[in-house]
Amino acid sequence: MDNIAGTKSSLVWTVNLAVIALVVLWTIPTFGLLVSSFRDRDQISASGWWNAAVSSEANEIARAGDADTQLQEGDLWVIAGTVLPEGKGEVSRFGTSSRDPTAYAAGETADLGEGVSLTVATDGSYRLTSTTAFEGRSPRIFFTATTPPRLTTENYARVLGAEGLGRAFLNTMTVTIPATVIPILIAAFAAYALAWMEFPGRALLIAGIVGLLVVPLQLALIPLLKLHNQLGIGKEYIGIWLAHSGFGLPLAVYLLRNYMVGLPREIIESARVDGATDFQIFLKIILPLSFPALASFAIFQFLWVWNDLLVATVFLGNNQDQLVMTGVLRELLGSRGGEWEILATSAFVSIFVPLVVFFAMQKYLVRGLLAGSVK
Amino acid sequence: MKAKLFAGAAALALVAGGAFAQDLRFAPGEDAKFNWASYEAFKQDLSGQEITILGPWLGPDKDLVESVIAYFEAATGAKVNYNGSDSFEQQIVIDTEAGSPPDIAVFPQPGLARDLAAKGHLVDLGADTATWIRDNYAAGQSWVDLATFPGKDGNSGLFGFFYKVDVKSLVWYVPENFEDAGYEVPATMEDLKALTDKIVADGGTPWCIGLGSGGATGWPATDWVEDMMLRTTTPENYDKWVSNELKFTDAAVVAAIEEYGAFSRNDAYVAGGAAGVASVDFRDSPKGLFASPPQCYMHRQASFIPSFFPEGTVIGEDADFFYFPAYAEKDLGQPVLGAGTVFGLTKDSPAARAFIEFLKTPIAHEIWMAQKGFLTPHKGVNTETYGDPTLKKMGDILLNATTFRFDGSDLMPGAIGAGAFWTGMVDYQGGKAAVDVAADIQKNWDALQ
Repeated sequence: MDNIAGTKSSLVWTVNLAVIALVVLWTIPTFGLLVSSFRDRDQISASGWWNAAVSSEANEIARAGDADTQLQEGDLWVIAGTVLPEGKGEVSRFGTSSRDPTAYAAGETADLGEGVSLTVATDGSYRLTSTTAFEGRSPRIFFTATTPPRLTTENYARVLGAEGLGRAFLNTMTVTIPATVIPILIAAFAAYALAWMEFPGRALLIAGIVGLLVVPLQLALIPLLKLHNQLGIGKEYIGIWLAHSGFGLPLAVYLLRNYMVGLPREIIESARVDGATDFQIFLKIILPLSFPALASFAIFQFLWVWNDLLVATVFLGNNQDQLVMTGVLRELLGSRGGEWEILATSAFVSIFVPLVVFFAMQKYLVRGLLAGSVK
Repeated sequence: MKAKLFAGAAALALVAGGAFAQDLRFAPGEDAKFNWASYEAFKQDLSGQEITILGPWLGPDKDLVESVIAYFEAATGAKVNYNGSDSFEQQIVIDTEAGSPPDIAVFPQPGLARDLAAKGHLVDLGADTATWIRDNYAAGQSWVDLATFPGKDGNSGLFGFFYKVDVKSLVWYVPENFEDAGYEVPATMEDLKALTDKIVADGGTPWCIGLGSGGATGWPATDWVEDMMLRTTTPENYDKWVSNELKFTDAAVVAAIEEYGAFSRNDAYVAGGAAGVASVDFRDSPKGLFASPPQCYMHRQASFIPSFFPEGTVIGEDADFFYFPAYAEKDLGQPVLGAGTVFGLTKDSPAARAFIEFLKTPIAHEIWMAQKGFLTPHKGVNTETYGDPTLKKMGDILLNATTFRFDGSDLMPGAIGAGAFWTGMVDYQGGKAAVDVAADIQKNWDALQ
């Protein structure tokens, strides 16, 4: 029994290794998304993100410069240029026909017939010569090149430069902040009443709220919008605040009530003996003590509202004045989708604010997650 | 002196006019190929009125539709808000059910408009519009029929106005690859099959086919089958098939599915082999045309696919298309499969009615034609306004069609056309027999009734 204190069991190492393995496993998809957000569309469809950091050998096609770039050198007409516009990489083979794109080694001269010949050097520069002047479209040059890894920030420039993104950011804030604060306010009062005020039917009410947790919000979309239209709220911010508050309340009340009921009875009773009213007890004792639970719910609600697209498209209009960020990012994907690079980049752009919120409040989150679980 | 003053006033008026027209992409009255007379004739005063339009177009497509709307605004003084949504199908249902519909909805398929009309959410456009379409659209009666549905009271009416058409019977290819290999564009289905075999014999892969499309995986195959239906059986049979008078299990339908399978289930014919077809995304599939060496030589897809070609591809030079040909021996003419967007009136108002009237003017078609991605069956437009020769060539395919049929899966009930038919085609691609697939789809359809 003397190995209990002092030396560590080898099991600890197994646990640590397992945890590290799981964390790495969990992070891989996000990391892949991050790498993809720095690659362009053609790269994404050509190879996996794990190939982004290695030199790749690929067969590519370039087109020789236009006929109007030709220069006359003696009795030869010449079009010169490079197939590697970024100047990086090494050409190993080239060809002039799609039938045989690797016909010649770099540096050799290919004869295209009719007095036309082409040579491509290893650094990518090519020289197309002809005994007569070039006309019409220039020929294609097929080449095999080894190119170093290439990452681009173009996707970020495109997403951040998107029309209306700034406005949409403000719209999202306009939706998110009240939609986080309102349910917390209401839920805190309700939770106190359900935890510490005696009235008939209290247990039933709690059971009812727990029951509401399992109602999917999609069920309520049409009836709720109908109600808003009848009340004359229509598609305004007040409507979406109410909707988000309503959808968030059951969880908020449940979480806060369970936390508050775990606070020591003695404090509250002695306050009562001292003559404090319910409101004073709530304000001076319960609220400060419940801060971890409030903070953790605030994080949940903020993240949910921030990422929401469905509720926003239903309860807000689609015009520039009301479009939220998720809506603008969706528009970037175009009518038929398929722009993966924009999708990956958008994810990282929109993740930024929630990350700030999360790190600012995370020390409360851990405590809050245990809310109501221990007395 | 007086003359000078007048000239000054005239110049001022011109400047003012120019300022007014600056958000119009083509200045009214300037380019003679546009039908400006129809624009002038349409002018009316609706200032102060506002309408909203909800449609499926986003991004560049949204800019294009807004460029057309600008002319309506300039001609009437009314304000139009166009909103695009990629979940249009869900949003229009929620908005109409909840009682906050837009004024006009742009349906990507007529099937959804039919559903909303049956619930009483669409306004009948009236017999005058039906007559107008009949007289002014090529194959006018078929466009009227496609948008005529029973309303809530059970009486049939015209609930949609087709504007913007896509042609689906196209095969895309890289002309220079054809030149390198010495291939000719086939004029008949027999030639196309011979070419397919020739490419295989030369050691190449003829086709790129991709069915992947997230939740809609399988739809590209339904287009193939529809095209094959039109090439192996009569248009009347096609119509009966769409309304299920002709069962899926009918020999004609099974034969069409097998015609498609002859291309897609042959490992030598498709890039990545038959097993790869179902998992390749339809948006990535055409990229094989541009690979070095080419992964495939041909790709059958609708007129929208160039947006998924590699950046900088010039249509007509780097890539081109030909009509997906018909069998010479079957004598079914030159059938063309297409699709189109339908404008429906979700809330009646003078300005919304005026907008539908606006869509009848040639200028509303020509403005979009002069840009990109727009085809129209309107007979009164000047085809010279097509923005590039490619569109004109597609327009010619549309006009030369002896038979035009609408995408059948868009007309079938949602559970089939956007469900069982899609998944059935994925099963078929996976190796299930055509007869069994057809029987499964038919079973689903029977269960609906």
